[in-house]
Amino acid sequence: MLAEETYKFRNYLQEQGIIFCYSGYMTEEVLSGIGNAIKRKLELEHTDRQTAKGVFSIFVEQVQNVIRYSAEREGGEVEDDPAEIRYGVLTVGRKDDQYFVACGNLINNHDVDRLKKSLKQIKELDKEGLRALYKETLKGETPEGSKGAGVGFIDIARRATNGFDYDFMDMDDDRSYFCLKAFV
Amino acid sequence: MENLKIEGTDRAPEVDFNFENNTFALRGESYPEDITAFYGSVLDKLDEHLSSQNGATIRFDFELIYFNSSTAKVLMGLFETLDEAAENGNEVLITWTFEADDDNMEEMGEEFSEDLEHAKFEMKSIEE
Repeated sequence: MLAEETYKFRNYLQEQGIIFCYSGYMTEEVLSGIGNAIKRKLELEHTDRQTAKGVFSIFVEQVQNVIRYSAEREGGEVEDDPAEIRYGVLTVGRKDDQYFVACGNLINNHDVDRLKKSLKQIKELDKEGLRALYKETLKGETPEGSKGAGVGFIDIARRATNGFDYDFMDMDDDRSYFCLKAFV
Repeated sequence: MENLKIEGTDRAPEVDFNFENNTFALRGESYPEDITAFYGSVLDKLDEHLSSQNGATIRFDFELIYFNSSTAKVLMGLFETLDEAAENGNEVLITWTFEADDDNMEEMGEEFSEDLEHAKFEMKSIEE
């Protein structure tokens, strides 16, 4: 029974093309550990070096977003609480000859509009537009209104050679569920 | 100022700052756990040193393989600092080394260097 359940779960993940799956509290140590395993797996598959770098970069930005911004957290009652940990779900896989990195976490409802707006803006930009926005954001010259177009999302968009999708789902009065999946 | 040499790790670059010779380098990967803790004091020292220099020949080599977006912000500031040192009467050369097939790293070098007005800039591609 136990083996059957776990095996079914494993098969479900494999059907989705998922190579790595982590659901839980994310920390910098988790990032290091999974990151090294992803690197090693991509090397063993003889993945093109630049593709591997793209997958890895997107993985780092996604996990660091959860570590910093997920609205599902333990601790953190005081600001910059070093004991604070935040929850998210991460999958890395390959389907139809593309790698993907998907990540989901809860966010506060008051951040939804801002995030939707900046992701919509990023998704509509071409290569040159992304490059310009990336630089503006790095220099802190982001024009009013596109504030919060975190440099992390722009970086993901630039490295996602096959694009990215995102989605929001209403949860309750306070929180929504947010997911972003990038393809390389 | 005493020279600064920090060995690189999986996640943090090697820092090789020779204040005496005015040669500086960052090498390797950069996605440190705590970006401020890693770069804060290192770049404070560099700022302090550079602001005391006049008529010096200064060289900064970037030999990075990968960096995350938080590091990119730091690097943008560092380029501005180096350009200021050049504006203040120093000869500043910045080199940016990237793996020949790494288009992203090449573009990053171009982007960081676009706004340089006083410092000299060289791109170097290397085969893996």
